[in-house]
Amino acid sequence: MTLSYPLIAGLLFGLYFSLVGIGLNLVFGVMRIVNLAHGDFLMLGAFVAFGVYTVMGLDPLVGVLIAFVLFWIAGLLLYWLLVPRLQRARDPEMLSFILFFGFSQVIEAITIIIFGTSERSIPSRELAASLGQLWARLFGGEADSGPFVILGESFPASWVIAAAVSIIAIGLVYLYLYRTRLGTLTRAVMSRRDEAVATGINVDRVSAAAFGIGLGLAAVAGVFAPFMFGSFTPAFGVDATVTAFVVVVLGSLGNPLGTALGGIVYGVCYMLVQTYLSSWADLLPYVLLIAILLLRPSGLLGRRARIA
Amino acid sequence: MLKRVIAGLAVGFSLVLSAQAADAPSEIKIGTLYASSGRYASISMPVHSALKLWVEQKNAEGGVYVKAFDKKIPIKLVAYDDQSNTATAATLYNQLITQDKVDLLVADSGSVLTAPAVTIARDHKMFLFDQTGTGASFFSKDNPYIALMADPVSTVWPKPIADFLIHDGPGLGIKKVALLYSTNEFTGTQANAVRDFLKNAPNSPIQIVYDQGVPTETTNYTVIINNIRAAQPDAVIHLGYAPNDIAFLRNVQDVGVKFKMLFCIYPGLETELLEKNVGAKGLQHVFTYVPPQELEYPVNFGMKMSDFREAWNKKYHDGKIEFGFNSVAGYTTALVIEKTLSVASSLDQLELRRAVFSLSGNLKTLDGTFALDETGGQIGELTPLGQLELDDHGHLKFVTVYPHDVATGKPVYPRP
Repeated sequence: MTLSYPLIAGLLFGLYFSLVGIGLNLVFGVMRIVNLAHGDFLMLGAFVAFGVYTVMGLDPLVGVLIAFVLFWIAGLLLYWLLVPRLQRARDPEMLSFILFFGFSQVIEAITIIIFGTSERSIPSRELAASLGQLWARLFGGEADSGPFVILGESFPASWVIAAAVSIIAIGLVYLYLYRTRLGTLTRAVMSRRDEAVATGINVDRVSAAAFGIGLGLAAVAGVFAPFMFGSFTPAFGVDATVTAFVVVVLGSLGNPLGTALGGIVYGVCYMLVQTYLSSWADLLPYVLLIAILLLRPSGLLGRRARIA
Repeated sequence: MLKRVIAGLAVGFSLVLSAQAADAPSEIKIGTLYASSGRYASISMPVHSALKLWVEQKNAEGGVYVKAFDKKIPIKLVAYDDQSNTATAATLYNQLITQDKVDLLVADSGSVLTAPAVTIARDHKMFLFDQTGTGASFFSKDNPYIALMADPVSTVWPKPIADFLIHDGPGLGIKKVALLYSTNEFTGTQANAVRDFLKNAPNSPIQIVYDQGVPTETTNYTVIINNIRAAQPDAVIHLGYAPNDIAFLRNVQDVGVKFKMLFCIYPGLETELLEKNVGAKGLQHVFTYVPPQELEYPVNFGMKMSDFREAWNKKYHDGKIEFGFNSVAGYTTALVIEKTLSVASSLDQLELRRAVFSLSGNLKTLDGTFALDETGGQIGELTPLGQLELDDHGHLKFVTVYPHDVATGKPVYPRP
């Protein structure tokens, strides 16, 4: 067994998990709200991809754009419906746990009623098939949906595509936070919400945007779930929330690069454990969570103790 | 004098009859659990849906015949959702027994959700109709409160695959085997059985070159597949639940690996579900168990397979719950319950056990011959080894390859 395979697989897998976690990071960082329904929005994103492929007959990659726009709008609506009332509570953090846990259960139950409990998936070759055909038309050759070879090792092409989209998404979030006015205001709210309010920043507007983007990113991650996890069901959200939470805590709050690093560390550790201690792989998220909270509570790229 | 005796007997007889009629319950309460969500929903809902289908059918006919009261009595199905959670399941099993006071207790599907019921039923001296919980540890001589309805016990199940490897493997060039399994009662027990069968075979012609367990929640096998490939096995045996098989088979395709022989459990048991998720091409040449729906067993009780499939498709036409091995298992459980009530002289739990055991070897359902060993483990309803092939129209078909007396074709080895 060579070490290069789990390391590269871990890197690809980890980049995807960065995408899984980054939306949660944004929502938690800006609003101090633990969105326990994060994984359920990811699951709904998977259903969007499934619908795009089976109903519309399009490349599931198109689902990335559709899912983001749909859930960004849903996030804005949901924010105005729930969050301002939540923020007025005595202990909004604790209340957010309960509220979003309930919301998660409702989403799962409704999805089961509509779609049933069976596993669903999309053939791997269909992801980015349209891009492959376009490439073949422009540069010749045949559209190839086979495995992707990196350093002589074969990896699923869908992993490489998911990792590439994750890098783009993290880059865009970084640009949003550090190169736009709304992003600067978002960082101000992340840093000190009370001071941001005092300086006249429209905190609700900033938070609503962050909430919408957070949900949109979760749904985008969901588009790739059928390819990364083999299949998905309405019950898939809970596990995704736990993993996203670990990735966020592992990196650092409010820093998209921290989430990227957290995802990569998680992915590489997961693949190494699967290689050498496969029966223990499920314990990894919890072990990492305990370890990071004991050794570096502010996360790998964090600079100060976390308030929330 | 004779008239008085006859009159006295008549009065006495009518009193007995009226007393018996008064004792007869207005309904027979069958308590069970199902998982509408979570990891085991896809194996639980078909089983539960089949049970519901049977209840509706029987109630439409006025109920089931209950010998203890010599009359037909309607059935009330008391069912709770355990959401695939064993702790919730334990609470709800207790509730069925102590609060709802059900007459018959039926476990949820699969070993994981049956496990809590085994101890609880035994503690309450309640006979457990174990639908598909095949874990070997559930069955022991000192526990009379359980019997397995619709699957062979896990230790018996993999015998055809082990026998095939031992007897036919060397001739085909199979010497090295990789064993990958999910660490739960159902597949863990099967893995132990395969290991024992292979190691204890005379002259042991098969060597296990890879032997790893992974958590049941595993959804990604790419690295593991690479590790198995490095061990260069002639055959790979993967023992997992349906989601595991889907992820494993998809990953095998995605990384472009072609194992010479690949065995998985669920391509045979839930073929529709697997085909939907993996595709017919991905299942081609995969070895698996041949399910009862492919074998058309002769029946002496209940619907035969084609009738059951028709009834299922009529009731569950929206396709949200797949027809397959688990739906057959649920209906088989229902048939055993129906037959048991028709022969049990009371609803006493040990009498129910006696009645269930009296059916052993005599009851032939669409799932095969119902046969129990002394511990309540199912030893009938065996699943031969088969291989999935594509027919001329590109549809999947089963080719039974072992045992030889039921074989319908030769195995394709190595996989082209």
